Amino acid sequence: MRAAVIDGKAIATKMREETAREAAELAQQGWQPRLVSISVGDTAAAELYVRNQQRQAQDAGVEFEARNYPGTISMEQLVGVLQGLNADPRVNGIIIQRPLPAPIPVKALQKAVHPLKDVEGMHPASIGNIVYNDLALGPCTAVAAVEILKTLPLKLEGLDVTVIGHSEIVGKPIAFLLMGLGATVTVCHHMTRSVAMHSRAADAVFVAVGKPGLVTGDMLKPGAALIDIGINRVEGKTVGDADFASCAEVAGWITPVPGGVGPVTVATLMKNAVLATRMQMAHYRAQYANTEV
Amino acid sequence: MTATIIDGKAFAAKVRAQVAEHVQRLKDEHGLTPGLAVVLVGEDPASQVYVRSKGKQTLEVGMNSFEHKLPADTAEADLLALIQQLNADPAVHGILVQLPLPGHLDSDLVINAIDPAKDVDGFHISNVGLLGTGQKSMVPCTPLGCLMMLRDHHGSLAGMNAVVVGRSNIVGKPMAQLLLGDSCTVTIAHSRTRDLPDVLSRADIVVAAVGRPEMVRGEWLKPGATVIDVGINRIEGRNGLFGDCDFASCVEVAGAITPVPGGVGPMTIACLLANTLTATCRANGLAEPQGLTA
Repeated sequence: MRAAVIDGKAIATKMREETAREAAELAQQGWQPRLVSISVGDTAAAELYVRNQQRQAQDAGVEFEARNYPGTISMEQLVGVLQGLNADPRVNGIIIQRPLPAPIPVKALQKAVHPLKDVEGMHPASIGNIVYNDLALGPCTAVAAVEILKTLPLKLEGLDVTVIGHSEIVGKPIAFLLMGLGATVTVCHHMTRSVAMHSRAADAVFVAVGKPGLVTGDMLKPGAALIDIGINRVEGKTVGDADFASCAEVAGWITPVPGGVGPVTVATLMKNAVLATRMQMAHYRAQYANTEV
Repeated sequence: MTATIIDGKAFAAKVRAQVAEHVQRLKDEHGLTPGLAVVLVGEDPASQVYVRSKGKQTLEVGMNSFEHKLPADTAEADLLALIQQLNADPAVHGILVQLPLPGHLDSDLVINAIDPAKDVDGFHISNVGLLGTGQKSMVPCTPLGCLMMLRDHHGSLAGMNAVVVGRSNIVGKPMAQLLLGDSCTVTIAHSRTRDLPDVLSRADIVVAAVGRPEMVRGEWLKPGATVIDVGINRIEGRNGLFGDCDFASCVEVAGAITPVPGGVGPMTIACLLANTLTATCRANGLAEPQGLTA
């Protein structure tokens, strides 16, 4: 094997330590970061994620409250809950766990989260800020994938990057984040004629499609970085979108699945919680510091 | 081989005629007249020309045009108050604040004060995010015009390799999103790109929006490529306007190309009118006109 395997867990641990330091600082000023997680209906599917987030929040010095609502709750009631959390100064970030029961429109619900408390980076204003190169709260998975690339000894300015998958919460934000950092980015998807032509020209490849084995070693430029964002279940095992064995022979760096992007994503959520708290503190001070109103 | 010249002037006239038809229908069937408010602060001569031309074309398609000319030293609070008033005015369906604003005014703050549903320039941060997440939004006029020309020329764009040269907020970035929305494989090249000729050699579609006269050379193009030139530049010592592509060499290699002037330029105001029409239909819960939005 040729590629260096990127240790996502180690990157995440380092990020959490930094987050814990900042959270303690904020707590000292009376702004203890606090997240509220909302699950709706049959919560079994998301339970594992929620417990994992809860554990990592603890490590990062972030308070975490998990709330469950019955599947019979209406959209109006849920929006009411979110408005209450938006208005509550003790809550700094809101997580909407997916999947939601089918009748509840996810995007409409995400829009009801105040942009300053949007720790998942799903509000259109959060995405708009990324497009305009003003990173405040970005979608966690996309930010995590880019953070991983940043740990490698590659100059991002002018780097040729191919992103496979153009989803709104992963592929596209990765493209815009990297473009902002000076990379030349190509975005491929299911309608792309020859993904291999584009991936072979790239110094770094991001894949986020949800198809195991989609990227094989012969599709890579020797020495390229491969960031695998896919999470698929195959024969009881968790695998990414890349065929790890053949890619590891050609790539210079590769993220494993599990243990690559996943842990960094949750660490990014905690980092966003601290960022959101800091932004809310600044907002509060700007609002109330001035007595001439 | 010599490229087909895409006549933006004629195509823009066609778009305006379509808009005018819809406006007439809105008047006849719903008693509605779309209204566009244009706000100009200061006396920038280029801006005055644009605003005059916008006002004229707005009236020509049967819409109401509301012009608000404010002195260069207008206070930010007064400008914001005017925007609030236009946001609340049911006769106004589109609001455009002519940029650039004088230095003492915060453009981001002013643009983000516009009701996103009336933001016919598509610059409000919510519209940027909505476009970025594939939701209904107001799309910036120039890239919308480019998209319309490409669709008109090719029909479906699915699977084509598109390269956008330039990553500006008003053209390059929304253009990339629109091309992705039409299922192109999209590369965004810019000033930091290492090997632009190599990137362009694979492109079936090139949209050049960098603001550097005659930068893209014909020998860099894939033979038969469609070239949309958004640049409008002047060159010292030469008369006239020049695009970002070297027209003389590109026209020999490309399959189709937009000239400068007379290509993308005329489409921008036509798309502004199309956006105002779309905003009017949405505000009144009516079906959106076909072919005039992304």
